[in-house]
Amino acid sequence: MEAMYAFFMDTAGMDEMAAHITVAVIMATIMFIVMALCAIIFTWMERKVAGFLQSRYGPMRTGRWHGWAQAVADMLKILGKEDIIPAEADKPYFIFAPLLVLLGSLLAWAAIPWAPGFVAADLDLGLFYIFAVTSLVVLGILMAGWASNNKWALYGAARGAAQMVSYEIPLLLATIPVVLYTGSLNTQDIVIAQQGGVLNWFVFRDPFLFIAFWMYFIASIAETNRGPFDMPETESELVAGYHTEYTGMRFAFFFLAEYANLFLVSMIAVMVFLGGWWSPIPGLDFAPAACFVVKGVLMVFLNMWVRWTLPRVRVDQLMHLCWKVMIPVTLVCVVGAGIWMMASGAVG
Amino acid sequence: METILFWLCGALMVLGGVMTVTQRSAVISAVWLIFAFVCAAGIFAILDAPFVAIMQVLVYVGAIMVLFLFVIMMLQGPVLDNEKRRLLKLPLWPAVAIPPVAVLVLVGGWIRRTGTRDFGGTVPEGFGQPAAVAELLLGRYLLAFELVSIVLLVAIVGALAIGKEARKLPWK
Repeated sequence: MEAMYAFFMDTAGMDEMAAHITVAVIMATIMFIVMALCAIIFTWMERKVAGFLQSRYGPMRTGRWHGWAQAVADMLKILGKEDIIPAEADKPYFIFAPLLVLLGSLLAWAAIPWAPGFVAADLDLGLFYIFAVTSLVVLGILMAGWASNNKWALYGAARGAAQMVSYEIPLLLATIPVVLYTGSLNTQDIVIAQQGGVLNWFVFRDPFLFIAFWMYFIASIAETNRGPFDMPETESELVAGYHTEYTGMRFAFFFLAEYANLFLVSMIAVMVFLGGWWSPIPGLDFAPAACFVVKGVLMVFLNMWVRWTLPRVRVDQLMHLCWKVMIPVTLVCVVGAGIWMMASGAVG
Repeated sequence: METILFWLCGALMVLGGVMTVTQRSAVISAVWLIFAFVCAAGIFAILDAPFVAIMQVLVYVGAIMVLFLFVIMMLQGPVLDNEKRRLLKLPLWPAVAIPPVAVLVLVGGWIRRTGTRDFGGTVPEGFGQPAAVAELLLGRYLLAFELVSIVLLVAIVGALAIGKEARKLPWK
């Protein structure tokens, strides 16, 4: 980032304001392109992982090598489809809702530290900011369900909102022990505090953090509305949930947002618990960004593994798990990690 | 730059407020209220109070307004039949919009007359940062803070007790 500012200010001769705006535009564009690529790659990956877990091949024909072009072809097909807005739908909100869902996750992507110094928005309250802007996704989903004027869409939206608002609490609580250890909410500071090999990653620092990591993982599956917690989209009950009425390009936005969110929660897990850009062996940090992305993709794989292994839970089981199991456990983790810190002398 | 952003956020916030009171559909009003809240968060961010700004988005946009939308959606269907819609078509919004504007004009005029434009001096060090807020909440206002949390806890228990069917209550 510093190098980019230096380039635009010294070499291209811009003033500070122009350099800031240029860098911001470039970073936003890069983030959007990476996000779109992620959606395409993860669609293919999901189908291959599903195939692998169910003892079949998945897409094999398009593009010859393991059907790699299948996702690209699907994207092109979706873009070419007719864009239908139901006659009884609330038009402006129907159009705006998918954009809001996408905006929520794109805004959060801005605070992800890919490599030392390479973060689009280096905020002091980065982690907090990420959780705040992802709450826009809930609004987008609720708006989509309402504007569609369809009872299944509304049911799906109400379920989605209830689920995401509930699971936001254990998600946030699970990251609090890490903030205690770091003493900072800046995303880069959190990663830097984990330098020095796999044993310094927060997940292995103490037993409470280890539990907190798995609590975060479970809550993150619920936050992204993926199986076994895909209640908002249960195709056997609600057709497709809040995006039942969406077609073509607008449906693609929801699709894009789902995979963007999936990678986002995986990247937050990597950043907060799994050492961010540091490699597992100390001293081998020659490709920080690659290390970060590889860990992120592994977390995505874990997520897919869970999705294609476990059956869907019921709504009451989902709420029971959140309010009666995960919130108490994460609260114990917060207190326990604090006591562990004092006992081990990490803080005075 | 800050001045431009301030006026932009302020103008959009006023627009959001006006749209909130003039809309006929409660859901659309709520959406505009969310818009106004986001603009308010923008103003907090300009004031160098990032913690307050993010709290504004996290609590108001992410939780409270979602709750509002839930309540509105649950009540909307049966309440708004045609009879009642006609009632809402009366231009009620001036009654809502005029008093705040009157207050604004009064205050503005008073400031102009007395000539003070200095609103309480300098911003203290670390204003709106998490550490400063935490020190106030967990230090000076600890008792009030804990009392408020007990009130909320009681409210949750009360809501559960009312929500549950009467015969299932343990003491009946």
